[in-house]
Amino acid sequence: MKEQLMEVLEEIRPDVDFENEKQLITDGVLDSFDIVSLVTALNDQFDIEIEVGSLVPDNFNSIEGMMALIEKLQDED
Amino acid sequence: MEISVLRLLEKTADKFGGKTAYADSENSLTFAEVEEKAKRLGSALSEMIPPRSPVAIMTGRNVLTPVVFLGVVYAGCFYAPMDCTQPTARLKDILSVLQPKILLADSEGMKTAKELGFEGEILLTDDLFAHDIDRCALDARARSACADDPLYTIFTSGSTGKPKGVITSMMSLMCYISAYIEVMGIDENDRLGNQSPLDYIAAVRDIYIPIFTGASMFIIPKQCFMMPAELFRVMNEQKITAVGWSVSVFTIAVKLKAFAESKPEYLKKVCFSGSVMPCSALKAWQEALPDTKFVNQYGPTECTASCTYHEVEGIVDEGDTLPIGKPYRNYRVFLLDDNDKEVPVGEQGEICVAGPILALGYYNNKELTDKSFIQNPLNKAFGELIYKTGDYGVLREDGVMLFKGRKDRQIKHLGHRVELSEIESAAMRLDSIKDSCAMYQKEKELIWLFYTGTASVKEAAVHFRGILPGFMVPRKLIQLEELPHLPNGKVNMQALKDMMK
Repeated sequence: MKEQLMEVLEEIRPDVDFENEKQLITDGVLDSFDIVSLVTALNDQFDIEIEVGSLVPDNFNSIEGMMALIEKLQDED
Repeated sequence: MEISVLRLLEKTADKFGGKTAYADSENSLTFAEVEEKAKRLGSALSEMIPPRSPVAIMTGRNVLTPVVFLGVVYAGCFYAPMDCTQPTARLKDILSVLQPKILLADSEGMKTAKELGFEGEILLTDDLFAHDIDRCALDARARSACADDPLYTIFTSGSTGKPKGVITSMMSLMCYISAYIEVMGIDENDRLGNQSPLDYIAAVRDIYIPIFTGASMFIIPKQCFMMPAELFRVMNEQKITAVGWSVSVFTIAVKLKAFAESKPEYLKKVCFSGSVMPCSALKAWQEALPDTKFVNQYGPTECTASCTYHEVEGIVDEGDTLPIGKPYRNYRVFLLDDNDKEVPVGEQGEICVAGPILALGYYNNKELTDKSFIQNPLNKAFGELIYKTGDYGVLREDGVMLFKGRKDRQIKHLGHRVELSEIESAAMRLDSIKDSCAMYQKEKELIWLFYTGTASVKEAAVHFRGILPGFMVPRKLIQLEELPHLPNGKVNMQALKDMMK
Protein backbone atom coordinates (compact mmCIF):
# COMPACT_ATOMS: atom_id res chain seq x y z
CA MET A 1 0.00 0.00 0.00
CA LYS A 2 2.84 2.39 0.79
CA GLU A 3 4.21 2.17 -2.73
CA GLN A 4 0.81 2.87 -4.22
CA LEU A 5 0.40 5.84 -1.87
CA MET A 6 3.85 7.19 -2.72
CA GLU A 7 2.96 7.00 -6.41
CA VAL A 8 -0.17 9.07 -5.82
CA LEU A 9 1.76 11.62 -3.79
CA GLU A 10 4.65 11.86 -6.27
CA GLU A 11 2.16 12.53 -9.04
CA ILE A 12 0.56 15.38 -7.09
CA ARG A 13 3.72 16.98 -5.69
CA PRO A 14 6.93 15.63 -7.28
CA ASP A 15 8.99 18.21 -5.37
CA VAL A 16 8.08 17.08 -1.84
CA ASP A 17 10.09 14.59 0.22
CA PHE A 18 7.16 12.62 1.59
CA GLU A 19 9.36 10.07 3.39
CA ASN A 20 10.72 12.73 5.72
CA GLU A 21 8.10 15.49 5.90
CA LYS A 22 5.98 14.88 9.00
CA GLN A 23 4.11 18.21 9.13
CA LEU A 24 2.69 18.40 5.61
CA ILE A 25 -0.40 20.33 6.73
CA THR A 26 0.77 22.10 9.88
CA ASP A 27 3.88 23.49 8.14
CA GLY A 28 1.92 24.43 5.05
CA VAL A 29 3.83 22.12 2.67
CA LEU A 30 0.57 21.05 1.04
CA ASP A 31 -2.04 23.63 0.07
CA SER A 32 -5.78 23.31 -0.23
CA PHE A 33 -5.52 22.54 -3.92
CA ASP A 34 -3.20 19.59 -3.13
CA ILE A 35 -5.70 18.31 -0.58
CA VAL A 36 -8.54 18.28 -3.10
CA SER A 37 -6.35 16.41 -5.63
CA LEU A 38 -5.15 14.05 -2.92
CA VAL A 39 -8.61 13.21 -1.54
CA THR A 40 -9.90 12.53 -5.05
CA ALA A 41 -6.89 10.35 -5.91
CA LEU A 42 -6.99 8.40 -2.64
CA ASN A 43 -10.72 7.74 -3.00
CA ASP A 44 -10.11 6.37 -6.51
CA GLN A 45 -6.94 4.42 -5.84
CA PHE A 46 -7.98 2.76 -2.61
CA ASP A 47 -11.70 2.55 -3.21
CA ILE A 48 -12.56 4.52 -0.08
CA GLU A 49 -14.71 7.55 0.72
CA ILE A 50 -12.88 10.19 2.74
CA GLU A 51 -15.54 12.21 4.58
CA VAL A 52 -15.17 15.81 5.63
CA GLY A 53 -14.81 14.72 9.28
CA SER A 54 -11.62 12.83 8.42
CA LEU A 55 -10.04 15.95 7.01
CA VAL A 56 -7.93 16.82 10.03
CA PRO A 57 -4.20 17.61 10.09
CA ASP A 58 -3.30 14.34 11.87
CA ASN A 59 -4.60 12.26 8.97
CA PHE A 60 -2.59 14.14 6.35
CA ASN A 61 0.53 15.44 8.05
CA SER A 62 2.59 12.35 7.11
CA ILE A 63 2.44 9.19 5.00
CA GLU A 64 1.97 7.23 8.22
CA GLY A 65 -1.14 9.27 9.04
CA MET A 66 -2.50 8.77 5.53
CA MET A 67 -1.85 5.01 5.64
CA ALA A 68 -3.62 4.73 8.98
CA LEU A 69 -6.61 6.61 7.57
CA ILE A 70 -6.75 4.44 4.45
CA GLU A 71 -6.54 1.24 6.51
CA LYS A 72 -9.26 2.44 8.86
CA LEU A 73 -11.59 3.31 6.00
CA GLN A 74 -10.90 0.05 4.18
CA ASP A 75 -11.67 -1.92 7.36
CA GLU A 76 -15.01 -0.15 7.71
CA ASP A 77 -16.20 -1.58 4.42
CA MET B 1 -16.57 61.78 3.19
CA GLU B 2 -13.55 61.56 5.47
CA ILE B 3 -10.53 61.21 3.21
CA SER B 4 -7.89 60.12 5.70
CA VAL B 5 -7.95 56.55 6.84
CA LEU B 6 -6.01 57.59 9.94
CA ARG B 7 -8.60 60.17 11.05
CA LEU B 8 -11.23 57.46 10.54
CA LEU B 9 -9.24 55.09 12.71
CA GLU B 10 -9.06 57.72 15.44
CA LYS B 11 -12.80 58.40 15.26
CA THR B 12 -13.58 54.69 15.42
CA ALA B 13 -11.15 54.24 18.30
CA ASP B 14 -12.93 57.09 20.15
CA LYS B 15 -16.28 55.44 19.66
CA PHE B 16 -15.33 51.76 20.00
CA GLY B 17 -12.02 52.04 21.86
CA GLY B 18 -12.29 48.91 23.99
CA LYS B 19 -13.74 46.76 21.24
CA THR B 20 -11.69 44.19 19.33
CA ALA B 21 -10.49 45.43 15.96
CA TYR B 22 -8.31 42.50 14.88
CA ALA B 23 -7.95 39.03 16.34
CA ASP B 24 -6.18 35.80 15.45
CA SER B 25 -6.10 32.43 17.21
CA GLU B 26 -3.66 33.70 19.80
CA ASN B 27 -4.06 37.46 20.22
CA SER B 28 -6.46 40.30 19.79
CA LEU B 29 -6.12 44.08 19.63
CA THR B 30 -8.70 46.72 20.47
CA PHE B 31 -9.17 49.78 18.29
CA ALA B 32 -7.44 51.89 20.94
CA GLU B 33 -4.46 49.53 20.93
CA VAL B 34 -4.28 49.55 17.14
CA GLU B 35 -4.20 53.34 17.11
CA GLU B 36 -1.58 53.54 19.81
CA LYS B 37 0.75 50.95 18.34
CA ALA B 38 0.44 52.32 14.82
CA LYS B 39 1.30 55.80 16.11
CA ARG B 40 4.38 54.45 17.89
CA LEU B 41 5.64 52.70 14.78
CA GLY B 42 4.82 55.74 12.65
CA SER B 43 6.70 58.03 15.02
CA ALA B 44 9.79 55.82 14.82
CA LEU B 45 9.68 55.64 11.02
CA SER B 46 9.16 59.38 10.58
CA GLU B 47 12.62 59.95 12.06
CA MET B 48 14.19 57.74 9.41
CA ILE B 49 12.59 58.37 6.04
CA PRO B 50 10.81 61.20 4.23
CA PRO B 51 7.06 61.04 3.50
CA ARG B 52 5.89 59.05 0.48
CA SER B 53 8.74 56.54 0.78
CA PRO B 54 8.10 52.85 0.15
CA VAL B 55 8.52 50.50 3.12
CA ALA B 56 8.82 46.76 2.49
CA ILE B 57 7.02 44.61 5.06
CA MET B 58 7.70 40.99 5.91
CA THR B 59 5.40 39.99 8.73
CA GLY B 60 3.27 36.96 9.50
CA ARG B 61 -0.39 36.09 9.42
CA ASN B 62 -1.29 37.73 12.73
CA VAL B 63 -3.00 40.76 14.30
CA LEU B 64 0.09 42.95 14.24
CA THR B 65 0.51 42.97 10.47
CA PRO B 66 -2.36 45.41 9.77
CA VAL B 67 -0.99 47.60 12.57
CA VAL B 68 2.43 47.69 10.90
CA PHE B 69 0.73 48.82 7.70
CA LEU B 70 -1.13 51.60 9.51
CA GLY B 71 2.06 52.65 11.28
CA VAL B 72 3.75 53.14 7.93
CA VAL B 73 0.78 55.28 6.87
CA TYR B 74 1.13 57.40 10.05
CA ALA B 75 4.67 58.17 8.88
CA GLY B 76 3.17 59.48 5.62
CA CYS B 77 4.75 56.56 3.76
CA PHE B 78 3.34 53.57 1.91
CA TYR B 79 3.75 49.88 2.51
CA ALA B 80 4.60 47.00 0.22
CA PRO B 81 3.73 43.70 1.88
CA MET B 82 5.87 40.71 0.96
CA ASP B 83 4.86 37.14 1.76
CA CYS B 84 7.90 35.61 3.49
CA THR B 85 6.85 32.11 2.47
CA GLN B 86 7.48 33.04 -1.16
CA PRO B 87 10.76 31.89 -2.70
CA THR B 88 13.67 34.24 -2.02
CA ALA B 89 14.29 34.77 -5.74
CA ARG B 90 10.86 36.34 -6.07
CA LEU B 91 11.26 38.44 -2.93
CA LYS B 92 14.55 39.74 -4.34
CA ASP B 93 12.77 40.63 -7.59
CA ILE B 94 10.21 42.62 -5.62
CA LEU B 95 12.90 44.48 -3.68
CA SER B 96 14.77 45.28 -6.89
CA VAL B 97 11.65 47.00 -8.24
CA LEU B 98 10.66 48.70 -4.99
CA GLN B 99 14.15 49.80 -3.85
CA PRO B 100 13.03 50.68 -0.32
CA LYS B 101 15.39 52.18 2.26
CA ILE B 102 13.71 50.20 5.02
CA LEU B 103 12.40 46.68 5.34
CA LEU B 104 10.29 45.93 8.42
CA ALA B 105 10.17 42.33 9.60
CA ASP B 106 8.73 40.60 12.63
CA SER B 107 10.59 37.78 14.38
CA GLU B 108 8.95 35.32 11.97
CA GLY B 109 10.01 37.15 8.81
CA MET B 110 13.44 38.22 10.04
CA LYS B 111 15.33 35.08 9.02
CA THR B 112 14.13 35.26 5.41
CA ALA B 113 14.57 39.04 5.34
CA LYS B 114 18.25 38.66 6.18
CA GLU B 115 18.78 36.18 3.36
CA LEU B 116 17.76 38.60 0.62
CA GLY B 117 21.01 40.52 0.29
CA PHE B 118 19.01 43.66 0.99
CA GLU B 119 21.20 46.77 1.04
CA GLY B 120 18.90 49.01 3.07
CA GLU B 121 18.07 48.74 6.75
CA ILE B 122 16.17 45.77 8.16
CA LEU B 123 14.28 46.68 11.33
CA LEU B 124 12.38 44.57 13.81
CA THR B 125 8.75 45.69 14.14
CA ASP B 126 8.74 45.07 17.92
CA ASP B 127 11.54 47.61 18.34
CA LEU B 128 9.51 50.24 16.50
CA PHE B 129 6.39 49.47 18.54
CA ALA B 130 8.43 50.36 21.63
CA HIS B 131 9.14 53.90 20.35
CA ASP B 132 7.42 56.84 22.07
CA ILE B 133 4.60 58.58 20.24
CA ASP B 134 5.90 61.83 18.77
CA ARG B 135 2.79 63.98 18.29
CA CYS B 136 4.63 66.82 16.56
CA ALA B 137 6.18 64.50 14.00
CA LEU B 138 2.88 62.75 13.27
CA ASP B 139 1.03 66.08 12.98
CA ALA B 140 3.62 67.32 10.52
CA ARG B 141 3.25 64.18 8.41
CA ALA B 142 -0.55 64.49 8.52
CA ARG B 143 -0.41 68.13 7.40
CA SER B 144 1.77 67.38 4.39
CA ALA B 145 -0.35 64.41 3.27
CA CYS B 146 -2.60 64.56 0.20
CA ALA B 147 -5.60 62.35 -0.53
CA ASP B 148 -3.90 60.89 -3.58
CA ASP B 149 -0.68 59.89 -1.81
CA PRO B 150 0.26 56.24 -2.28
CA LEU B 151 -1.14 54.00 0.45
CA TYR B 152 0.29 50.64 -0.58
CA THR B 153 1.96 48.81 -3.41
CA ILE B 154 0.90 45.24 -4.08
CA PHE B 155 2.91 43.03 -6.37
CA THR B 156 1.26 40.91 -8.99
CA SER B 157 2.41 38.61 -11.80
CA GLY B 158 4.12 40.47 -14.67
CA SER B 159 4.24 39.13 -18.22
CA THR B 160 7.94 39.93 -18.63
CA GLY B 161 8.84 37.59 -15.78
CA LYS B 162 9.25 40.28 -13.12
CA PRO B 163 6.45 41.03 -10.69
CA LYS B 164 4.90 44.50 -11.06
CA GLY B 165 3.91 46.71 -8.15
CA VAL B 166 0.46 48.28 -8.43
CA ILE B 167 0.33 51.55 -6.43
CA THR B 168 -2.98 52.43 -4.80
CA SER B 169 -3.70 55.83 -3.28
CA MET B 170 -5.49 56.45 -0.01
CA MET B 171 -8.31 58.16 -1.87
CA SER B 172 -8.87 55.11 -4.07
CA LEU B 173 -8.99 52.84 -1.06
CA MET B 174 -11.45 55.15 0.73
CA CYS B 175 -13.74 55.11 -2.32
CA TYR B 176 -13.64 51.34 -2.64
CA ILE B 177 -14.16 50.44 1.01
CA SER B 178 -17.08 52.84 1.46
CA ALA B 179 -18.74 51.54 -1.72
CA TYR B 180 -18.19 47.92 -0.63
CA ILE B 181 -19.63 48.50 2.84
CA GLU B 182 -22.71 50.08 1.30
CA VAL B 183 -23.27 47.10 -1.01
CA MET B 184 -22.65 44.45 1.64
CA GLY B 185 -24.45 46.33 4.40
CA ILE B 186 -21.69 45.82 6.95
CA ASP B 187 -21.82 47.61 10.31
CA GLU B 188 -20.25 47.51 13.76
CA ASN B 189 -22.16 44.33 14.69
CA ASP B 190 -20.42 42.27 12.04
CA ARG B 191 -17.52 39.93 12.59
CA LEU B 192 -15.39 39.47 9.51
CA GLY B 193 -13.53 36.24 8.80
CA ASN B 194 -10.31 36.87 6.92
CA GLN B 195 -9.10 34.31 4.39
CA SER B 196 -6.90 36.32 2.05
CA PRO B 197 -3.18 36.37 2.82
CA LEU B 198 -2.57 39.77 4.43
CA ASP B 199 -0.08 40.74 1.71
CA TYR B 200 -2.67 40.12 -0.99
CA ILE B 201 -5.07 42.65 -2.49
CA ALA B 202 -8.27 41.03 -1.19
CA ALA B 203 -7.09 41.58 2.40
CA VAL B 204 -7.62 45.35 2.12
CA ARG B 205 -11.29 44.79 2.93
CA ASP B 206 -10.57 42.81 6.07
CA ILE B 207 -7.99 45.36 7.20
CA TYR B 208 -9.96 48.55 6.50
CA ILE B 209 -13.63 47.63 7.03
CA PRO B 210 -13.14 47.55 10.83
CA ILE B 211 -11.66 51.05 10.67
CA PHE B 212 -14.67 52.29 8.69
CA THR B 213 -17.40 50.58 10.70
CA GLY B 214 -16.20 49.38 14.09
CA ALA B 215 -16.68 45.74 12.99
CA SER B 216 -14.19 43.16 14.29
CA MET B 217 -12.00 41.04 12.04
CA PHE B 218 -10.73 37.55 12.81
CA ILE B 219 -7.76 36.10 10.93
CA ILE B 220 -8.71 32.48 10.23
CA PRO B 221 -5.71 30.09 10.40
CA LYS B 222 -4.53 29.13 6.94
CA GLN B 223 -4.83 25.38 7.45
CA CYS B 224 -8.57 25.69 8.12
CA PHE B 225 -9.05 26.27 4.42
CA MET B 226 -7.89 22.72 3.72
CA MET B 227 -10.08 21.24 6.43
CA PRO B 228 -13.68 22.50 6.00
CA ALA B 229 -15.02 20.92 9.21
CA GLU B 230 -12.35 22.78 11.14
CA LEU B 231 -13.09 25.95 9.17
CA PHE B 232 -16.77 25.87 10.10
CA ARG B 233 -15.98 25.04 13.71
CA VAL B 234 -13.71 28.10 13.97
CA MET B 235 -16.24 30.31 12.19
CA ASN B 236 -18.98 29.26 14.57
CA GLU B 237 -16.77 29.68 17.60
CA GLN B 238 -15.89 33.19 16.40
CA LYS B 239 -19.47 33.92 15.26
CA ILE B 240 -18.27 35.08 11.85
CA THR B 241 -21.04 37.00 10.03
CA ALA B 242 -19.38 38.37 6.91
CA VAL B 243 -16.65 37.20 4.56
CA GLY B 244 -15.01 38.34 1.33
CA TRP B 245 -13.24 35.28 -0.02
CA SER B 246 -11.61 33.96 -3.12
CA VAL B 247 -13.87 31.82 -5.31
CA SER B 248 -11.54 28.84 -4.92
CA VAL B 249 -12.32 28.60 -1.19
CA PHE B 250 -16.00 28.08 -1.97
CA THR B 251 -15.36 25.52 -4.71
CA ILE B 252 -12.82 23.58 -2.63
CA ALA B 253 -15.25 23.42 0.30
CA VAL B 254 -17.89 21.93 -1.98
CA LYS B 255 -15.43 19.43 -3.50
CA LEU B 256 -14.53 18.30 0.02
CA LYS B 257 -18.24 17.91 0.89
CA ALA B 258 -17.98 20.56 3.56
CA PHE B 259 -21.69 20.73 4.37
CA ALA B 260 -22.05 17.04 5.21
CA GLU B 261 -21.74 17.59 8.95
CA SER B 262 -21.95 21.30 9.74
CA LYS B 263 -22.21 24.79 8.35
CA PRO B 264 -21.20 28.33 9.34
CA GLU B 265 -24.27 29.18 11.39
CA TYR B 266 -23.75 32.92 11.74
CA LEU B 267 -22.66 33.73 8.21
CA LYS B 268 -25.02 36.27 6.62
CA LYS B 269 -22.96 38.30 4.12
CA VAL B 270 -20.74 36.69 1.52
CA CYS B 271 -18.73 38.29 -1.24
CA PHE B 272 -16.67 36.20 -3.61
CA SER B 273 -14.16 37.33 -6.20
CA GLY B 274 -10.95 36.39 -7.96
CA SER B 275 -12.33 34.20 -10.71
CA VAL B 276 -15.58 33.02 -12.25
CA MET B 277 -17.77 31.28 -9.66
CA PRO B 278 -19.13 27.96 -10.95
CA CYS B 279 -22.88 28.03 -10.27
CA SER B 280 -22.82 24.39 -9.13
CA ALA B 281 -20.63 25.40 -6.18
CA LEU B 282 -22.63 28.56 -5.45
CA LYS B 283 -25.84 26.54 -5.43
CA ALA B 284 -24.46 24.23 -2.74
CA TRP B 285 -23.59 27.25 -0.57
CA GLN B 286 -26.96 28.90 -1.17
CA GLU B 287 -28.82 25.74 -0.23
CA ALA B 288 -26.80 25.34 2.95
CA LEU B 289 -27.22 29.02 3.85
CA PRO B 290 -30.65 30.09 2.53
CA ASP B 291 -30.78 33.38 4.46
CA THR B 292 -27.33 34.58 3.40
CA LYS B 293 -26.63 37.31 0.89
CA PHE B 294 -24.19 36.35 -1.89
CA VAL B 295 -22.39 38.97 -3.96
CA ASN B 296 -20.18 38.35 -6.98
CA GLN B 297 -17.41 40.92 -7.36
CA TYR B 298 -15.24 41.55 -10.37
CA GLY B 299 -12.20 43.73 -10.89
CA PRO B 300 -8.42 43.96 -11.12
CA THR B 301 -5.87 45.28 -8.61
CA GLU B 302 -5.33 48.29 -10.90
CA CYS B 303 -8.82 49.53 -10.00
CA THR B 304 -8.49 49.08 -6.23
CA ALA B 305 -9.44 45.43 -6.16
CA SER B 306 -12.74 45.73 -7.95
CA CYS B 307 -15.00 47.41 -10.49
CA THR B 308 -18.41 45.82 -10.42
CA TYR B 309 -20.65 43.76 -8.16
CA HIS B 310 -23.70 41.60 -8.59
CA GLU B 311 -25.98 40.51 -5.80
CA VAL B 312 -27.27 37.03 -6.55
CA GLU B 313 -31.07 36.84 -6.53
CA GLY B 314 -32.62 33.50 -5.66
CA ILE B 315 -30.90 30.15 -5.83
CA VAL B 316 -28.92 29.73 -9.05
CA ASP B 317 -29.20 26.82 -11.48
CA GLU B 318 -26.12 24.80 -12.30
CA GLY B 319 -26.08 25.94 -15.91
CA ASP B 320 -26.37 29.69 -15.09
CA THR B 321 -23.69 32.26 -15.76
CA LEU B 322 -23.36 34.88 -13.06
CA PRO B 323 -23.20 38.47 -14.30
CA ILE B 324 -20.38 40.66 -12.97
CA GLY B 325 -23.04 43.29 -12.48
CA LYS B 326 -22.94 47.05 -12.11
CA PRO B 327 -20.16 49.44 -11.17
CA TYR B 328 -19.55 50.31 -7.53
CA ARG B 329 -20.04 53.95 -6.58
CA ASN B 330 -17.12 56.10 -7.85
CA TYR B 331 -16.25 53.57 -10.55
CA ARG B 332 -16.85 54.42 -14.21
CA VAL B 333 -16.95 51.18 -16.20
CA PHE B 334 -17.52 50.95 -19.96
CA LEU B 335 -16.64 48.94 -23.05
CA LEU B 336 -14.38 49.89 -25.97
CA ASP B 337 -13.85 48.03 -29.22
CA ASP B 338 -10.48 47.46 -30.93
CA ASN B 339 -10.70 50.90 -32.55
CA ASP B 340 -11.35 52.64 -29.23
CA LYS B 341 -14.98 53.30 -30.08
CA GLU B 342 -17.84 52.79 -27.64
CA VAL B 343 -19.51 49.39 -27.97
CA PRO B 344 -23.31 49.25 -28.37
CA VAL B 345 -25.45 47.39 -25.82
CA GLY B 346 -25.36 43.63 -26.38
CA GLU B 347 -22.00 43.58 -28.17
CA GLN B 348 -18.65 42.51 -26.83
CA GLY B 349 -15.87 44.95 -25.98
CA GLU B 350 -12.90 45.40 -23.66
CA ILE B 351 -13.82 46.40 -20.11
CA CYS B 352 -12.35 49.84 -19.32
CA VAL B 353 -12.38 51.65 -16.01
CA ALA B 354 -12.01 55.28 -14.93
CA GLY B 355 -12.51 57.24 -11.73
CA PRO B 356 -10.73 58.10 -8.50
CA ILE B 357 -10.22 54.38 -7.87
CA LEU B 358 -7.62 54.04 -10.61
CA ALA B 359 -4.18 52.95 -9.43
CA LEU B 360 -1.31 55.43 -9.61
CA GLY B 361 0.45 53.02 -11.96
CA TYR B 362 3.21 50.45 -11.61
CA TYR B 363 5.96 51.41 -9.21
CA ASN B 364 9.25 52.37 -10.88
CA ASN B 365 7.91 51.36 -14.27
CA LYS B 366 6.89 54.44 -16.23
CA GLU B 367 6.88 52.63 -19.55
CA LEU B 368 4.35 50.01 -18.50
CA THR B 369 2.32 52.63 -16.58
CA ASP B 370 2.03 54.87 -19.65
CA LYS B 371 1.05 51.92 -21.77
CA SER B 372 -1.61 50.65 -19.36
CA PHE B 373 -3.17 53.87 -18.05
CA ILE B 374 -4.15 55.99 -21.02
CA GLN B 375 -6.23 59.06 -21.83
CA ASN B 376 -9.87 58.10 -22.32
CA PRO B 377 -10.16 58.00 -26.13
CA LEU B 378 -13.81 59.05 -25.85
CA ASN B 379 -12.92 62.21 -23.93
CA LYS B 380 -11.34 64.99 -26.00
CA ALA B 381 -12.35 67.73 -23.55
CA PHE B 382 -10.24 67.13 -20.44
CA GLY B 383 -7.66 64.84 -18.90
CA GLU B 384 -9.15 61.53 -17.83
CA LEU B 385 -7.11 58.37 -17.46
CA ILE B 386 -8.60 54.95 -17.99
CA TYR B 387 -7.32 51.45 -17.40
CA LYS B 388 -7.98 48.83 -20.04
CA THR B 389 -8.45 45.61 -18.11
CA GLY B 390 -7.73 43.16 -20.94
CA ASP B 391 -11.04 41.48 -20.06
CA TYR B 392 -13.95 41.23 -22.45
CA GLY B 393 -17.49 42.08 -21.42
CA VAL B 394 -20.98 42.60 -22.77
CA LEU B 395 -23.46 45.13 -21.42
CA ARG B 396 -27.04 43.93 -21.12
CA GLU B 397 -30.08 46.09 -21.81
CA ASP B 398 -30.64 46.50 -18.03
CA GLY B 399 -27.13 47.92 -17.45
CA VAL B 400 -25.76 44.68 -16.02
CA MET B 401 -22.41 43.50 -17.36
CA LEU B 402 -21.39 39.97 -18.31
CA PHE B 403 -17.81 38.69 -18.30
CA LYS B 404 -16.59 37.18 -21.56
CA GLY B 405 -13.02 36.09 -20.92
CA ARG B 406 -9.49 37.38 -21.48
CA LYS B 407 -7.78 39.12 -24.36
CA ASP B 408 -4.29 37.78 -23.61
CA ARG B 409 -2.57 34.91 -21.80
CA GLN B 410 -3.32 36.14 -18.31
CA ILE B 411 -5.34 33.67 -16.26
CA LYS B 412 -7.10 33.71 -12.90
CA HIS B 413 -6.01 30.69 -10.93
CA LEU B 414 -7.14 29.94 -7.36
CA GLY B 415 -7.97 33.62 -6.94
CA HIS B 416 -4.59 34.81 -8.14
CA ARG B 417 -3.73 36.51 -11.36
CA VAL B 418 -1.09 34.63 -13.31
CA GLU B 419 0.69 35.54 -16.55
CA LEU B 420 1.44 32.27 -18.31
CA SER B 421 4.47 33.92 -19.91
CA GLU B 422 5.91 34.56 -16.44
CA ILE B 423 5.93 30.80 -15.86
CA GLU B 424 7.74 30.30 -19.18
CA SER B 425 10.32 32.94 -18.22
CA ALA B 426 10.83 31.09 -14.96
CA ALA B 427 11.26 27.81 -16.85
CA MET B 428 14.01 29.34 -18.98
CA ARG B 429 15.99 30.10 -15.82
CA LEU B 430 16.70 26.36 -15.53
CA ASP B 431 19.54 25.51 -17.93
CA SER B 432 18.25 22.02 -18.59
CA ILE B 433 14.97 23.38 -20.02
CA LYS B 434 15.32 24.49 -23.63
CA ASP B 435 11.86 25.63 -24.59
CA SER B 436 8.47 25.68 -22.93
CA CYS B 437 4.84 26.62 -23.21
CA ALA B 438 2.48 27.08 -20.24
CA MET B 439 -1.21 26.34 -20.69
CA TYR B 440 -4.26 26.50 -18.43
CA GLN B 441 -6.93 23.84 -18.16
CA LYS B 442 -9.76 25.86 -16.71
CA GLU B 443 -12.23 23.05 -15.96
CA LYS B 444 -9.72 21.29 -13.72
CA GLU B 445 -7.95 24.44 -12.50
CA LEU B 446 -4.61 23.03 -13.61
CA ILE B 447 -1.56 24.85 -14.94
CA TRP B 448 0.35 22.68 -17.41
CA LEU B 449 3.86 23.22 -18.67
CA PHE B 450 5.05 21.51 -21.82
CA TYR B 451 8.82 21.68 -22.12
CA THR B 452 11.80 20.36 -24.00
CA GLY B 453 15.25 19.72 -22.58
CA THR B 454 16.90 17.21 -20.29
CA ALA B 455 15.31 18.32 -16.97
CA SER B 456 13.31 15.57 -15.25
CA VAL B 457 9.79 16.35 -14.06
CA LYS B 458 11.05 16.28 -10.48
CA GLU B 459 13.94 18.67 -11.22
CA ALA B 460 11.57 21.04 -12.97
CA ALA B 461 9.04 20.91 -10.08
CA VAL B 462 11.76 21.61 -7.50
CA HIS B 463 13.08 24.47 -9.65
CA PHE B 464 9.66 26.14 -9.87
CA ARG B 465 9.05 25.76 -6.14
CA GLY B 466 12.30 27.62 -5.65
CA ILE B 467 11.41 30.70 -7.68
CA LEU B 468 7.64 30.99 -8.04
CA PRO B 469 4.85 31.34 -5.47
CA GLY B 470 3.10 28.01 -4.93
CA PHE B 471 -0.05 28.88 -6.85
CA MET B 472 2.00 29.62 -9.98
CA VAL B 473 3.86 26.30 -10.02
CA PRO B 474 2.63 24.11 -12.91
CA ARG B 475 0.83 21.03 -11.59
CA LYS B 476 1.32 19.04 -14.76
CA LEU B 477 4.80 18.97 -16.22
CA ILE B 478 5.08 17.27 -19.59
CA GLN B 479 8.47 16.67 -21.17
CA LEU B 480 8.39 16.60 -24.98
CA GLU B 481 10.96 15.87 -27.66
CA GLU B 482 9.81 19.04 -29.36
CA LEU B 483 6.97 21.54 -28.95
CA PRO B 484 4.40 21.33 -31.75
CA HIS B 485 4.66 24.33 -34.08
CA LEU B 486 2.40 25.98 -36.63
CA PRO B 487 3.71 26.67 -40.16
CA ASN B 488 4.38 30.30 -39.12
CA GLY B 489 6.75 29.12 -36.40
CA LYS B 490 4.46 29.87 -33.44
CA VAL B 491 3.73 27.20 -30.85
CA ASN B 492 0.65 25.23 -31.80
CA MET B 493 -1.43 25.76 -28.69
CA GLN B 494 -4.39 23.84 -30.08
CA ALA B 495 -2.21 20.73 -30.33
CA LEU B 496 -1.12 21.24 -26.71
CA LYS B 497 -4.74 21.73 -25.67
CA ASP B 498 -5.55 18.34 -27.19
CA MET B 499 -2.76 16.78 -25.11
CA MET B 500 -4.39 18.08 -21.92
CA LYS B 501 -7.52 15.97 -22.51
